[in-house]
Amino acid sequence: MTTHPTVSASGLTLRYGGTAALDDVSFRLHEGVTGLLGPNGAGKTTLLRVLATAVPADRGAFTVLGHDPGTVNGRREVRRRLGYLPQTPGFHADFTAFAFVDYVAILKELTDRAARHREVRRVLEAVDLSDVRGKRIKRLSGGMRQRVALAAALLGDPDLLLLDEPTVGLDPEQRMRFREVIAEAGQGRTVLLSTHQTEDVAMLCRRVIVMAHGRVRFEGTPAELTARAAGRVWSSAERDPQARAGWRTGLGAFRNVGDPPKDAELLEPTLEDGYLLVLDGEPVEVASA
Amino acid sequence: MSDDKHDGIGWHADADDLRAYARGELEAPRLWSVDAHLIACAPCRLALAEAGDPLALDAGWARLDAELDAPRPGVVEALLTRIGVADHTARLLAATPVLRASWLSAVLLVLAMTVASVYTADSPWLFLALASLLPLAGVALSYGPVLDPTYEMALVAPLHGFRLLMIRTVAVLVTSLGLNGLATLALPEYGLRALAWLLPALALTTTGLALTARLGPVLAPALVSGGWVALLVVTRATTHGTLVPFTAAGQGVAAAIAVVAAVSLHRLRDRFDGSPSPSSITDFAHRSAS
Repeated sequence: MTTHPTVSASGLTLRYGGTAALDDVSFRLHEGVTGLLGPNGAGKTTLLRVLATAVPADRGAFTVLGHDPGTVNGRREVRRRLGYLPQTPGFHADFTAFAFVDYVAILKELTDRAARHREVRRVLEAVDLSDVRGKRIKRLSGGMRQRVALAAALLGDPDLLLLDEPTVGLDPEQRMRFREVIAEAGQGRTVLLSTHQTEDVAMLCRRVIVMAHGRVRFEGTPAELTARAAGRVWSSAERDPQARAGWRTGLGAFRNVGDPPKDAELLEPTLEDGYLLVLDGEPVEVASA
Repeated sequence: MSDDKHDGIGWHADADDLRAYARGELEAPRLWSVDAHLIACAPCRLALAEAGDPLALDAGWARLDAELDAPRPGVVEALLTRIGVADHTARLLAATPVLRASWLSAVLLVLAMTVASVYTADSPWLFLALASLLPLAGVALSYGPVLDPTYEMALVAPLHGFRLLMIRTVAVLVTSLGLNGLATLALPEYGLRALAWLLPALALTTTGLALTARLGPVLAPALVSGGWVALLVVTRATTHGTLVPFTAAGQGVAAAIAVVAAVSLHRLRDRFDGSPSPSSITDFAHRSAS
């Protein structure tokens, strides 16, 4: 882990009407993949849009590699170092995969034709789409389109990659394939991966931030998040009324999280257990970076 | 390739060109000719291998591969490149949302209907009113999130927002004014009076863009369009004969507004490089999506 963070954010606040989409959000991002976990409406997309410079925060500030996006020049420098995959990336569906990524490359200031085409080939290869580069986007599957958008985000070898729920809507096989690509992309750069699947975090992330109602509820490693549930997960035949949350597992028994009764049969905690406990109104304790 | 040697398959690349190619110093468009030729000609590929050092040769192959992948430009893009527009600018223009067939046919339909109305109502005012407004509508739709599926990606791209706006505006203006001009030709009996849409069109477009810097890409053109319609309704209710904006005095005012708006637009150009205000309508759709 590098000593200087790629992203340093403090006090980010953004209100829409009476609702705080972001409420005093502070964190640091270092090299590697960081998961951004949270339920729908937690503020994940808003946070990514703020970091991507698509929308400014009302209060607070952040820097990317020391550049301040609050100024015109700083913002351009941040954008030059940024790869952003929005939650619902739009496409010119009549373009081929190559032509579309080529178009985004032009927006990213790659104007030299030969160098740009080399870069487009490189990123399409990185997401394993070289074989369909000549196909029109409207003929590609959802998973392939998602990879086209990721290829566009990878153009110019960005230092910071922001991925907003990239595995939503993909079938399990596509999801696995996409995770491999993200893991590869996370080598040597900083990735913030928004997701509501703890599975994504368990498989990919070095660190994890949990958000709820626009606030950071947890920041630390996946192991630290799991450890939150140590001694607080137990099994019972029926749902334990004492539990903060519980669900029936495939084996038929109930898995409860919360404060266990004295004679409870304790279970080994998982990332899901830690996540549920952090979401359930637990006091915010931010682990040191 | 003035002294190309010809044989059964056509020609062979000049030895000097091949050496320059191997060094990576051959300039376009000659570079493209040699690229295209090398794909088809084994003897020249062999000659190239002898002419260049291995590293430069690898670079040449990489470039050739990239060219082979490159998409064939569409008709508009190819035409633009042919008249000297840089290939990356041509691609940006080709991706301008309103330069699509659906938009162009809608504009043609509106113009045809208003021209028809001139013949039935025996007055050009409806044509002049709409022809003035169509360029602003086109420019607004090409910039805003309504028709551009890649709006969010373009918004956070380092390419200067004002530059992209101007590239698209010029494209839409040329197309719109061209179509308006064609429609005007269908009204020969009105002579130059049928061209009275031109200055209001420029004034409305530049004002809409200048206000976009402050009010966002939806509110600004909506306000300007609303103001234009209100002005016409009021003047039509209060005056007889030619409506004020289409009189000589009105044309003078339109020209002055266009100049003032163009100057303020230039002054406000950096605002197009920034993030939109959080209260702009573009973010409305994202409020519940977080």
